[in-house]
Amino acid sequence: MTISPNVTLYVALAFYATGTLAALLSLFTHEKWTQNAGLAAMIAGFVSHTFWIGTICTITGHPPLTNLAEASSFVAWVVFAIELALFLRYRVQAASFFVYPLVLILLTISAVAREPFAKLSPDLRSNMFTAHLLSTTLGVAGLLIGLAFSYLAYVQDRALREKTRGRLWEWIPNLNVCRTVSYRALAIGFSVYTVGIITGVLWSYRTNVGLMELRSKQIGAVVAWVLFAILLQSYIGGVFRGKRIVVISACAFIAILVAILGIQHG
Amino acid sequence: MPLLLVGVNHRTAPVEVRERLSIAEAKLPELIRSLTHLPGVEGASIVSTCNRVEIVVSSPSEDVIETVVNWMADRANTAREDLEKHLYVLRYADVVKHLFRVTSGLDSMIVGEPQIAGQVKKAFMAAQEIGALDPLLNQVFENTMRVAKKVRTDTGIGEHAVSIPYAAVELAKKIFGELKGLQVLLLGAGEMGELTAEHLAAQEVRQIFVANKTYERALALAERFHGSAVQFSSFEEHLATCDIVIASTAAPHYVIETDQVDRALSARKMRSLFLIDLSVPRNVDPEISQIEGAYLYNIDDLQHVADANLELRQKKAGQAEEIIVREVESFRKRLIAQDAVPTILELQQRLETIRAAELDKCLRRLGPISAEQRSAIEQLTTQMVNKILHYPILQLKESPEEPQERETLRQTIRKIFGLR
Repeated sequence: MTISPNVTLYVALAFYATGTLAALLSLFTHEKWTQNAGLAAMIAGFVSHTFWIGTICTITGHPPLTNLAEASSFVAWVVFAIELALFLRYRVQAASFFVYPLVLILLTISAVAREPFAKLSPDLRSNMFTAHLLSTTLGVAGLLIGLAFSYLAYVQDRALREKTRGRLWEWIPNLNVCRTVSYRALAIGFSVYTVGIITGVLWSYRTNVGLMELRSKQIGAVVAWVLFAILLQSYIGGVFRGKRIVVISACAFIAILVAILGIQHG
Repeated sequence: MPLLLVGVNHRTAPVEVRERLSIAEAKLPELIRSLTHLPGVEGASIVSTCNRVEIVVSSPSEDVIETVVNWMADRANTAREDLEKHLYVLRYADVVKHLFRVTSGLDSMIVGEPQIAGQVKKAFMAAQEIGALDPLLNQVFENTMRVAKKVRTDTGIGEHAVSIPYAAVELAKKIFGELKGLQVLLLGAGEMGELTAEHLAAQEVRQIFVANKTYERALALAERFHGSAVQFSSFEEHLATCDIVIASTAAPHYVIETDQVDRALSARKMRSLFLIDLSVPRNVDPEISQIEGAYLYNIDDLQHVADANLELRQKKAGQAEEIIVREVESFRKRLIAQDAVPTILELQQRLETIRAAELDKCLRRLGPISAEQRSAIEQLTTQMVNKILHYPILQLKESPEEPQERETLRQTIRKIFGLR
C-alpha cells in the first residue's frame, strides 16, 4: 500500500486548524494553556508541513515554488518559521491571532489549488529563476510578519492612548518590541523582495517568457512593492503612526495576496 | 494526616495582637526549635509576616493544640482567654488548603501580592535547616511552594500593579519594554512624584534629571536618586532626551505645553514620550494626549489602571481557587495512599504466604503433573489472590479523610485477614 505524498499536507492542515482555533479561543478564555495548546498544535503542523515540502523537493528536484499550491505552502511555512523564532525570542503571543490564521489560509489555498507537482522544463531552469522564487517568497514572508507586528503596534498604541484595554492587551508585547520587529521585518522583507523582483525581471529577459504581461501576479507584486516602499519610508521618516499607515498596510496585504493567487503554473 | 495549624491574621486580630506575636526572621530558628520540644509535636514551622503569625505542627494527637495555644500566649505575654478569641485552628486537609492559598497570595490584604511566597519559603527553609520538619511537613511545604508557583504562572495573578507608582512603571514597560537605559525627568518635588521616581530608579533607568523651582531641593532629590539636578527654567531641553517625564509640581497652571512636546517629539523621531502628570491642578496640558507619540496619564488615569488591575486580580483569584481545590485533593489522595502502603504490603505478603503453602500441599497430593499443568494452577491461584485483594487495597488507598475513620478501616482489614 502506498501512501499519498499529500497525507502530510492534510495532517499539517488539521493541526494548523486546531492550533488556530485554540489561539482564537484563548482570546475569550484568557487562559495560557489554551494558547500553549494552540502553539503545540501549530508546531506539530509545522513538522508535518516540513515533511510535505521535503516530499515535493524530492519528487521535483527543485524548491517547491513553481505553482500556486507550492508557493503559498512555502510562504506559509516561512511565515510560521519566523513567527516561531520571534516567539522564542520575544514570547509574543498576540502575533498568533494573525499569523496562525494566515498560515492556515495559505496552506488551505495550497490544498484547494491541488495542482500536480510541477517539474520545471529544463529551458526555464536556472540559478536566476531559483534566486527569483526564493527571494520573492522569503521577502513576502518577511513583509507579512512586518504587517502583523505593525498591526499589533497600532492596537497597542490605541490602547495606551485611549487608556482602555482590549482583549489583546495582555497578549501584546510592549510597543517598542512591536515597532522594532515590524520595522526590521519590513526592512529585510522589502530588500529581499526587491531582489526577487529584479531577478525575476532579469530571468524573464533571458528566457523570453514575456516581461510584464500585466497579469494579476505582476500587477499585485508591483503595487505591493510601491505600498511597502511608502510604509518603510514612513518608518524611516518617523511618521509611522495613525490610521493612514493601517490603510496602506491593509492595501499592501491585499496586493501581496493578489500576487500570490496570481501565480500560474510554470 | 496529623496536621494542625493555629494562627492569627489581619482579619482575625488587630495589629496590637499581631505585633505581640510577630517573630523577627533572625529569631525564627530558635522559636521553631522550642516548638519542636513541646510534648506531642513531631514537626513544626512558623509563618510570620506583618499580616499573620501561624504555627504549623504535625502531631498524632489534637491535644497538642492546647499546648501550642499556651505556648503562643506565653510568648505574647497575654492571657490565654484574650488570645483565644483571635485565633483560628485548622486541621488536616484544611491546613494544606490554607497554606496553598496563603502562599499564592489569595489570603493577603492585596490579593496576589508576591512577597508572601518568599516569606513562606523563608519559614520553610528555617525549619528545614534545624531539622524541625518531619517527612509530612516537608512534603506539605514542598507542595505549597510548587502550587504557589503554578498558581502564579497559570493565572498571572501577581502580574498587574495595584498602586499608582507601580501602575506608572507598568505602563512605562508597556511602552518601552526594558526600562534600563532610559532617561527620566522629574519636575517638582511632590510626594507621589518622588515615589514614582523611586520605583523607576529601582528599574535601573540610566539617569534621572530633577528640576524644581528651588534648585537646592532639586539637588537633594537628584542626590537621592544618583541623578542630576537641572534648572527649572531649562527643563525643556531635556524633553527631547528623556523618555519618561513625571510632573509633580505645586504650580496652579500647565507647566508643559503642546508646542514644547511637539518640538521634543520631532527631535526624538521614532521614540515615544511618556508623560505622567501627578499634580492637582494638572501640570501637563491634556491636549498633549492628541499628539502622536506622546502618552499622557494623569493621576486619575493611573488610579483607574490600578483599580482595573485589582479587579483583574480578583477575577484571576477565582481561577486560582480552582487550581488549589484540585491540588489539595490530589495531595490528600497521595498522602492517604502513602499511609496505606505498609498495610497493603503486609496484606499481599500474608496472602502470598497462604497461597504458596496451599499450592505446595495441593501439588504434593496430586503427584506428578506436567509443567504446563503446574503453571496453570499457579496462575489460577495468583489470579484468585489478586482478585480477593483488589477491593481491600482499593479501600485502603481511598480511605476516608478523617484519621480516626481511616484507622478503624485499617484495623478492620487487618483483623479480617489476620495481620498482626
